[in-house]
Amino acid sequence: MAERLEILLLDDEPIVGKRLKPALEKSGCKVEVFENPLEAMDRLEQKRFDIVVTDIRMDEMDGLQVLERVLAKWPQTKVIMITGYAMMALARESMEKGAFDFIAKPFRPDDLRRVIAKAAKALGSSIDFNTAGSKQS
Amino acid sequence: MTEFNKSAGDHNQDEDSRVRKVYDHMEIVEKSRQALLSRRRFSVRHQIYIAYALVFLFALGVAAALITNIYQIKSQLQFLEFVNEFASEIQQARRYEKNFFLYGTNLDDALENIHLAKTIFVQNADQFAAILGQKQQQTFLARISAYEDLLDRLKQIQGRKPQLFKNTKLLSKIEDDLRKYGKEMIDSAQGLIKKEKDSLSRTLDRSRDIHIVSLVVLLIFLAVHAYLLVARIYSTLKRFSGYAQRIAAGDITPIIPKRRFRDEFTELAIAINEMIKEMDAREAALIQSHKMRAVGTLTAGVAHELNNPLNNIMLTIHMLMEDYKELSEQERFEMMNDIANETGRAKNIIANLLDFARESATTIETFDLRKLLEDTISLVRKQVSLSGIRIELQVAENLPSIHGDRQKLQQVFLNLILNAVDASEKGGKVQVMALPADKPNHVAIKIIDYGKGIPKHILSSIFDPFFTTKPKGKGTGLGLSVSQGIVAKHGGQIEVTSEEGSGSTFTVVLPVTTFPKEIPLI
Repeated sequence: MAERLEILLLDDEPIVGKRLKPALEKSGCKVEVFENPLEAMDRLEQKRFDIVVTDIRMDEMDGLQVLERVLAKWPQTKVIMITGYAMMALARESMEKGAFDFIAKPFRPDDLRRVIAKAAKALGSSIDFNTAGSKQS
Repeated sequence: MTEFNKSAGDHNQDEDSRVRKVYDHMEIVEKSRQALLSRRRFSVRHQIYIAYALVFLFALGVAAALITNIYQIKSQLQFLEFVNEFASEIQQARRYEKNFFLYGTNLDDALENIHLAKTIFVQNADQFAAILGQKQQQTFLARISAYEDLLDRLKQIQGRKPQLFKNTKLLSKIEDDLRKYGKEMIDSAQGLIKKEKDSLSRTLDRSRDIHIVSLVVLLIFLAVHAYLLVARIYSTLKRFSGYAQRIAAGDITPIIPKRRFRDEFTELAIAINEMIKEMDAREAALIQSHKMRAVGTLTAGVAHELNNPLNNIMLTIHMLMEDYKELSEQERFEMMNDIANETGRAKNIIANLLDFARESATTIETFDLRKLLEDTISLVRKQVSLSGIRIELQVAENLPSIHGDRQKLQQVFLNLILNAVDASEKGGKVQVMALPADKPNHVAIKIIDYGKGIPKHILSSIFDPFFTTKPKGKGTGLGLSVSQGIVAKHGGQIEVTSEEGSGSTFTVVLPVTTFPKEIPLI
């Protein structure tokens, strides 16, 4: 695989980034982690990512706004929303607004890997999870 | 360990003495009941009966006095008659005596008259003695007897030794003595008549006085009694109307004894206390049911918030399993530590909600207002941020601690904050401020929203039970009413100011140290 998939991960829970960054890097992605949506937006202004994974509920900015801004700037980017169970309405809203898919908390690293693989496929790239992913999947 | 236990024990004891039930009035109602009943009974009925009995006894006394007086008058009149008779007999005797000396008539008539006079005097000796005194009576009697004796001697002289009449010396001696005794008797008899007349006049005056005085006393007594009776009924009715207003205003402390005796109103007070007990139980149930509604509202937020630690645990565990061999000891420890922390976080979220939902015996404690407001806000934070609204908390420095039922006050603040959030536009903010109130020894907690505000015409009814502006099925209309009740129980109140279009401010004013009001049981 010549080109590594570039992923921006945004969640205000620090542990999410801390655990998912190595998990996704193992699968051959390049991951940048943000806890603050404003900083993430600054970074997105400068650089195009293949995939953006964002939590919906955050203090400074809502995931839906992130989605709108990303798609406005980089229409090609696939945005994956992280939601809570209680927020299916928001998940549906984000799908209508052009999100690629959503994943509900709590999820396993492999759940996210699968959604990312799907997005990668849609982008025309592919990741070989069998070599990097966990054995349980 | 022992030291710890000891200090903990002391603390509990200290706490117990301060802990008072605010809502569960059962004990206080029972105590009030006992206090109300322990007094001596003196009912309105008793008062009326006693007054009637007193009036009757008084009338009886007056009647007895008057009857006695009439008897006295009667006997005085009778006696006066005797005295008159007595005096006239003596006068008659003296007349015959004079005739004897002047014309030499016989003395039998004179003797008869004086004998009659003596008989009258002896027959009424007791009465004469009562008026004249024992000694004078004796003197009087002696005089009569002396007079009689003289007449007797004279008669004997006349009958047997008429020649002695020539002895002018002896005759004039007897005549002088007769005149002297006769005059003394007449004077005494007249004095007696005068004395007796005066006495009769006094008795008649007394009869008049008894009438006047008894009427005046009766009038005063009846007036005073009427006043006391009316004052008693009126003041008690006034007090009870005060209780009714107080209870209507939400202060449902039981009625405690105010007087030293009990009566018909005591039964009313006990009935009202029973009613208060019922109201209390219902209010407690209402507060609890309202709290459960709030819990329902919060559940969505809490469930969502719970997803975060759960997600962190899940991700960490899976990565730990996936990379167990590659990870260093240090990294593994760090991950397990994360799991432990996140489990604790999840536990706290649940505990926080359960703590709020728990139906606890209400206890009074001293607590920090800042901590309470922070806890309350953290309870709703997730729920509120879902609606895209920020909550800002500002607490003044050095704010005194509050004394009260922490859980119930939390319910009040939660309710006001959720209301403020409902009133706010998406993206708006709700300010929660705690600061010293304008009133000394009070703190004010302001919950400010910048929403649509409350129209003026409904502002006065927002605290009414079942008043709601929310769509059917969304609000019970009891939130503010219940909150107002809780705050009133703490000796405070909720005030509201609102500007249509620019938002509302709800201010909870709470006393700092005066709560709980000590209920003195007399």
